[in-house]
This record gives sequence, C-alpha cells and structure tokens, in this order.
Amino acid sequence: MVKKIYLSIKAILKGHFTVLKHLFRNSVTLEYPEVHPFLNHYFRGRHVLEGCRGCGLCKRVCPSDAIMIEKNDNNYLNKYVIDYSKCIFCGNCMFYCPTHSMKMSNDYELAKTNKSQLLTDIYYKGV
Amino acid sequence: MNYLLCTLFEIKWLPDIWAVILVSVIGFGVVISLLILTVLFLVLAERKLLGFFTQRKGPNRVGLWGVLQTTADAIKLLCKENIELLSSDKFIFTIAPIMAFASVILLWCLIPYNSEFHLINSSVGVLLYFAIASLPMIFHFLAGYSSNNKYSLIGSYRSLGLTCSYSIVLMLSVMSVIFLSGTMDLDKIVLFQSKTWMIFSNILGFLIFFIATLAKLNRCPFDLSEAESEIVCGYHTEYSGMRFAMFFLGEYAELFVMSMLVAILFFGGYLPPFGMYLANAFMGNCEFCSYFIYFEQTIWLFIKTLIIVFVIIWIRATLPRLTQVSTLNMFWKYIIPISIFNLIMIIMMRALW
Repeated sequence: MVKKIYLSIKAILKGHFTVLKHLFRNSVTLEYPEVHPFLNHYFRGRHVLEGCRGCGLCKRVCPSDAIMIEKNDNNYLNKYVIDYSKCIFCGNCMFYCPTHSMKMSNDYELAKTNKSQLLTDIYYKGV
Repeated sequence: MNYLLCTLFEIKWLPDIWAVILVSVIGFGVVISLLILTVLFLVLAERKLLGFFTQRKGPNRVGLWGVLQTTADAIKLLCKENIELLSSDKFIFTIAPIMAFASVILLWCLIPYNSEFHLINSSVGVLLYFAIASLPMIFHFLAGYSSNNKYSLIGSYRSLGLTCSYSIVLMLSVMSVIFLSGTMDLDKIVLFQSKTWMIFSNILGFLIFFIATLAKLNRCPFDLSEAESEIVCGYHTEYSGMRFAMFFLGEYAELFVMSMLVAILFFGGYLPPFGMYLANAFMGNCEFCSYFIYFEQTIWLFIKTLIIVFVIIWIRATLPRLTQVSTLNMFWKYIIPISIFNLIMIIMMRALW
C-alpha cells in the first residue's frame, strides 16, 4: 500500500510540473482580426483569373457546378462567375486549366451579408 | 482599531456608543471593499492563469490586457433578470444565496489582517471560524433543494456527501495546530510562529489541511458538487442574475479567505518571512515607519495568500475530478487515519517538549 501511495503521489507531482512548464511557453492564440495566420503558397482561397480563353474545361470538372461562363457573340469570354455558395474550394479548376490562368489566392475572408453577393464575377477584363 | 476607538472617544460631542458603532462600521466597510476588490481580481487572475497554463491568453479584450473583464461581467450580472421557477420554494430560493454570501463576509471579519486591524477578536477565533465556515454548505444544500430541479438536488446531495468526508479531517488537522500553539486565538497563533512557521513542525498536518481545504472550497479535484460536465452547474443551476453572482462571488471570497487561514495557521500570517520588517530595515525606527509596518504586515499576508491561491489554481489546471465514491474512499480510508496519527504524534511531541 505504501508503494501504491508513493507511486500515485509521484504521478500527481509529475503532472503538476508538466503543467507548470506550459506556464512559461508562448501562447498559441492568434488575435484574429489584428493578426492573420501564416498561410502556405498552396492554400486554396479566392480564385484569381488571368488570361483565360474560355475553353470551359473548369466548368466541366467542377464537382459542385459552381462555375458559370458567359461568352459574347464573337466567342470571347464576357463573364466568368463563381458561385461561392456552391464552391467547395477543391482546386479542380486550377488543376485542369490548360493555360494555367486560374490561380487560387490566400484571401479567405469571403463572408457576405447576402447570398446574391456570393455570385462573384472574377474575370479580369484588362485595361 | 483600538487607536481609532481612542481617537473617537476623545471627541467631546460624540457619544461613546456612537464611537463604538462608527468603528465597527468603518472596519466592516474596509473589509467588504477589500472583499469585492479581491474577488474581482481573483476571478480575473484565475481565468488568466488557466489560460496561460493551457497556452492561451485568457481574457484580453476589455481594457488593457483584459483587466476590466470581471467588472464588465459583474455589471452584466447586475443588469440581468432574476428568473424564478413556478415550482420552486420562493422564500428559501431567495434567501439561500444571500445567506451563503453573508456567512462568507462574516469569515472575512474574523481574520487578523495585521496586529491592529482585527475586526472580531475572539479568544476562540479558530473555533468560531469553522463554525461559520460550515454555514455556506448548508445554504448550498438549501439552494439545490428549493430550486426543484434534479440536477440541483444531485449537486446539493453531493456537496453534503463531501461535507461528511472533509469536515472531520479539517478539524483533526486544525486540532494539531491548536495543540502545538496552545491557543485558539488567531492573533496568538500568528505570534506563536514568530520564530519558526508552523509548517516546519507540522508538515503532515499542513498537507492534510490543504487537501481538506480544497474539498471545502469545492475546488478541483473535489468539485463534484458543481461538476459542469455531469450535472450542469450543481446547486446553482436554476439561479440567474445577481443571485448567481452571489454564489459565484461567495465561492471566490471563500477561496481567498480559506487561503488566508492557511497562511495564518501555517505560514506565519502577517509576520514577515525574514524575521524583520522591511520598513524597519530600510527606514529605521522613525514615527512614520511604525504606521507603515501595519501596511507591510497586510502586504505580507496577501503575498502568502496569493501564493497559496496560485497553487490552488495550478491544481485546478492539472487534476481531473474525483468521483463521489473515490472521494469518500480517499478521505475515510487514507486521510482520516493519517490525520489521527499526526494528531497523536503532535500531542506526544508537545508532552515531551
């Protein structure tokens, strides 16, 4: 019984000093609106489109059917709309793009107050 | 206190009875303002420390580093509505938190803060302290009983069960202190330790007393009467607004006052740890110094208390909760025999000394 008591007291003290060690460590909390977390280059955030020729491959591979492509009469790209209420950020559109014109940025603050605002036209029309 | 009383007696137009009343009112005002400030600080300190122990930051939004967080919480609780169940026993339901808090305030008046300021100076101070300290538990039970809720009732039964386990141990370990010092007066117990602290002659008694204190305060690992993950909130499940705040503040005030009692019984109370006052060491024996010593004594008491409070919070951050059965098991099978052994050893030591 004495050995049992000794072992339990030893275990309790060991736990206490493990906890005490953590008192002097830096906290892992990020104070979010002021401090942003570090993101890797392969992070999949908001889409950026540059130099698209409108082949429509991304529309066909999209698993959640979130991409809408609109062309004008000359078969040029007019609108490239992503419905962020449907998009699951899988990155297929970026992976299958033959011209590497689709990129995904590190911007992840996509919340909007209205559902219709989530329909975003990301086609960069140029100057 | 006596000095203040003499000054008031010298005033011609003030009747003596009014002087006595005025002194007690002033003393009580000082104690209660100290209580409120300490509790506000203590809640913040606990949340901060628990945050640091788990590598978080704790409250840090309200004020600088979150110092105003508890003040904001208190104001919020004051503004909230008091919800009453139709099926509850109204009178007991209302009176239980008030009485629980009042008995804790009474405990604060029994503590010698320095060699002068001792509001209720009784020759059986320790006995009086533990007589009053058992009151909050009764009102916790009444609160759980009157709110007519199964979780409250289970919580209050658990708190009664806990009382059965710790109170014997608490009194036996206090008896060892009383036998050693030969007095029940808290002031004289403090002065008895002017050469060596009680903890060096009574280390086993201190450990037992500390464990029993944790059980008395409903702190981890004995917080089974208000186990959040099992029975919502224990006896104060149905309470809201300021009535809940009464329980909450009372709990923290009791934590601080029990830590103060530990400091008084085992760590020399308001006496400085080096056997000499810093005010005397730095300024010599001047007139101003003799007033400053009283403040220094209070500061020493508070430093010792805060260290004990830190240890209690540390234990809360580490240990999981015991079940009711294992708590009773531990106290009745292990700690009560050890404390009786300790008491006999102390008596023999005292007889041979």
